Amino acid sequence: MTILAGTQAPSGATFDSGVAASEADTAAARVAELRTMALAAGVDVVGFAPAERWDEFVPAGSRPYDILPGARTVVVVGVRGPSAGAWQSPDHRLIEMNGYDFANDRVIHLVADHIEQAYGYQAIQAPGLPIGGHQPAFSMMLAAVLSGLGTRSFAANIVLNPKYGLLYYSACLTTLELPADAMLEQDVCPAPMCVQVYKAGGKTPCQAACPSDDGGCLHGTIGPDNRIESTYYDRERCVSRAMNFGINSFQKGLEQIANEDDPEARRMMIHSDFFTRSASAIAFYKESVAQCFECMRVCPIGRAERKLK
Amino acid sequence: MHARLPDRPGRKKAQVSASAELELMQAHRRELDEVARKSGALVTGVADANAFTAAMEGQRPTDLLPDCKTVFVLGGAQPRAGDWKSPSYRHMETTSTSDRVTAMGNRVAQHIERKCGYYAVTIPPGVDRARRPFLNIALAAELAGCGSPSLAGPVLHPEHGFMYYTAVLTTLPLPVDGPLAEPVCPAPECVSMWNEAGTTPCMATCPIDEGGCLGGRIEDGRLKERRYDVARCTTRVHTTFIPGFQKALEAVFDEPEKEKRKMILYSTQFTRTLWSMSYSNVSQGQCFECMRVCPVGSKQRSLR
Repeated sequence: MTILAGTQAPSGATFDSGVAASEADTAAARVAELRTMALAAGVDVVGFAPAERWDEFVPAGSRPYDILPGARTVVVVGVRGPSAGAWQSPDHRLIEMNGYDFANDRVIHLVADHIEQAYGYQAIQAPGLPIGGHQPAFSMMLAAVLSGLGTRSFAANIVLNPKYGLLYYSACLTTLELPADAMLEQDVCPAPMCVQVYKAGGKTPCQAACPSDDGGCLHGTIGPDNRIESTYYDRERCVSRAMNFGINSFQKGLEQIANEDDPEARRMMIHSDFFTRSASAIAFYKESVAQCFECMRVCPIGRAERKLK
Repeated sequence: MHARLPDRPGRKKAQVSASAELELMQAHRRELDEVARKSGALVTGVADANAFTAAMEGQRPTDLLPDCKTVFVLGGAQPRAGDWKSPSYRHMETTSTSDRVTAMGNRVAQHIERKCGYYAVTIPPGVDRARRPFLNIALAAELAGCGSPSLAGPVLHPEHGFMYYTAVLTTLPLPVDGPLAEPVCPAPECVSMWNEAGTTPCMATCPIDEGGCLGGRIEDGRLKERRYDVARCTTRVHTTFIPGFQKALEAVFDEPEKEKRKMILYSTQFTRTLWSMSYSNVSQGQCFECMRVCPVGSKQRSLR
């Protein structure tokens, strides 16, 4: 079984052995302190990765030290989204508005503040939203993988944590060098149960819930080694379903309103439920970041954590 | 068991078990109250999930969370005494919100799931289809004994008056508080005013027959009839925020002249509307006048 970063003491630490023992002790103590503080503040997992790990995966401009000059470590935190009760609700619209409270963002600020104020090193929240084009400046999914918190899945490439499954991540870049967590050695997806289902029916549960060859978004194959061999994810189709309300639908609604010449029809569109909910999703953004959870609903990873009385 | 039947071993066991269950429920309640208090809640109450008989189908607790046993209601995040004192009425528009109380509800829901091991769902403050709430939180507050509906509209707590509420649905059995035995509104001061002048402070400040939103009748010290013009109230309470944005947008598209359109788009009204949407948690309501004159909870607002 893979050791969970963030829930146990860091294993496979890769701190430079040339550093004096006392400095290593200090760094290890800081890791423990940051981990304890972040978990107590409400996140579920914490991981640490050296900035150099990004070199292999991202182009220049997207590496931690491109964003914070001299960055040595990336601290990543993850929180569960919808409550177990929200997953149980037969009203799917409830989970749309009840999934996420940005606890990861709040806690990552605590982490950054603590690094700057207590240790005297620079620390910033990594930019998770696009600042040019539609690509984020820094991928939180990659950060979660590189800090040993999860691996990519068949389900829209969502990074799954072995214990909790779907998590929401934030990261902090810092010039402070800290011992790193090892990346997960074992893929979280596909789960053994999904391999069995795939062998029997040619699709994993998530692929069966949203098959790309039947109007859905997901497809993929499992190799003879029972690992992901190929994945296909129709992002555009997924966005049109998962993001029914929010900035995208607001823009679409506004375009239709602007193109409508009849004042009465325009009035109806402006005051319609659809446009009101779109505006509401912008206003109450944190209550409506996505409107489809079906591939995650059938995912066995993290199910034990969602099973309550 | 029938009174004449001899005692059986199973009976005592069942009684002990029921008593242990009650103790456990009470312990859970104390625990949740503590979490709520530490999160900033002023009051808490528990409603029976099956008591929402007045709610529409689809809006009952069990429609939203199967096997829901209780509804834990938290109240607080009310305007501070200083907020009420501010001579700038616009100040309270930007500081009085339901956002904080929802965050408190989320903390309680997390505690129920992670520490007690039962399902929990916080009711979102926004609206579902057709602009209806997912669950009537005012009804939940009433059924949980946090307060009672008032002539002005909001559920008033007997001691603190107006506040914001959130509701957490849960499968966790808890001792139920139930509704208050005596309604909070009308307060004795309001009954006296009614007897003398035929109106109450809230109705006098916003009379429905003179362009306002509130009307009603008191008989034998009890609220007998309530009239509330929700449409008119909305146009005053929501002068900015989403309805304000929609209204301004309609004006923009209806305006044929380019220069005038530009003026509308860059006006302070439109700017404020966008501010209140993007920082929605700081500007949801823009009129507090019926609550400003309400005597319930006024002691709590009187400081040095």
